[in-house]
Amino acid sequence: MNALIERMAAQQMAMDQARPHTDIDTLPLAASRLELRYEGHAALDRVSLRLEPGTVLGLIGRNGAGKTTLIRALLGLVEPDAGSATVWGRPALQMGDAAKARLAYVPQQPEALAWLKVGDMLDFVGRFYPNWDAAFVDDTLDRWELPRDRMLAKLSPGERQRVAIVRALAPRPELLVLDEPAASLDPVARRELLREIALRAGESGTTVLFSTHIVSDLERVASHVAFMHQGRLLLHGELDGLKERNLRLHVPASAADQLVGPVPGEVARRPHLYGGHSIVIVREEGAAWPALASAPGVQREVLSLEDLFVEVAG
Amino acid sequence: MDATLLHIQPAAPQPIYRQIAEQIRRLVAGGQLAVGDTLPSVRDVAAAHAINPMTVSKAYSQLEAEGVLERQRGKGMAVAAQPAGRDTPAQRWTLIEPSLDAVARQARELELSPDEVIARLSQRMRQQ
Repeated sequence: MNALIERMAAQQMAMDQARPHTDIDTLPLAASRLELRYEGHAALDRVSLRLEPGTVLGLIGRNGAGKTTLIRALLGLVEPDAGSATVWGRPALQMGDAAKARLAYVPQQPEALAWLKVGDMLDFVGRFYPNWDAAFVDDTLDRWELPRDRMLAKLSPGERQRVAIVRALAPRPELLVLDEPAASLDPVARRELLREIALRAGESGTTVLFSTHIVSDLERVASHVAFMHQGRLLLHGELDGLKERNLRLHVPASAADQLVGPVPGEVARRPHLYGGHSIVIVREEGAAWPALASAPGVQREVLSLEDLFVEVAG
Repeated sequence: MDATLLHIQPAAPQPIYRQIAEQIRRLVAGGQLAVGDTLPSVRDVAAAHAINPMTVSKAYSQLEAEGVLERQRGKGMAVAAQPAGRDTPAQRWTLIEPSLDAVARQARELELSPDEVIARLSQRMRQQ
């Protein structure tokens, strides 16, 4: 395993431990050192996570990085080889009906009941939820032009995704978990989904966890972000903080003597196209920039989240 | 003021709340927003741009703390009265500081001395 990634993961764990701890019962989701192996490789590699109420956490990662596996483990849909996951303080693997009624999950591929018509499916599901908002359902089906009388199996992937989203939002859940919700959606539909998530999070305090590989979606609505890379959770923190505390330094060959060992906060390093090195650093909150950042001849730029992600995971 | 007057770039390195704050400061400094003008509600801005309302709140709170905006009962956020018909020196410095940072950074990257840079800058300021 890459030494740099190891260091980052260790740093992340130290940061997580140093944060003041909220009582676990109030945390919609929490995980401690989850491990899961698929066919000889680590799908989840000692992943720990605490999701505070009211947070919108965007999980970025390449395909196959472990995002779906993590989400399923957090919700008790898959049993880890080691470690634990809790939902409002109770073990995820033994989630009770009370907890299930407070959360909604939209998986990557919408599930069964494919033979039901859209309207019938929603009426059926609605009976399980005390807080089902039928007016919201009607309103949204109209606004998003979804046909009540068509069988789910006959909808396009985008339409099925949107119906799944309506179904998830209708019970006004306290916790909303979405796995690649925008994958089948056109830009207009994506924007509307983001708007709905953003308003719920900001106004009703809904906690949201969504995974995506469309970074700009995340940048609109997320309060926090985490990078998933080869089964490890990296750079988990506030989105604004990450934008304000990163720098890419181009250290020219002439200043190479300034590079003795890793730079504090270093997350990526590569030889630069035009000589010298390109080094990406993420400063710890409250810490000063390393001296190298202001050294003569060293060029610096702030990275967008997408560029930061490509540097770390590329 | 309409919420769509703001131009949000989610993918930019600058956090969204800073973009909003900076744009409102410019609109006030430039006179496009007059004293007493109400700003769109947090919800309207959030809905128009599909961003988290907390981000908008953060920007508005910062501007309120700076004295650029004030909360008016029943009306929401409005442009506060600026002292003596002109921005305070502190506000004017806030507007030019990003440019000063950029010049300082570039000078360092290009290894140009502060004295040289200041001399050329002074020359330009006297010319215009």
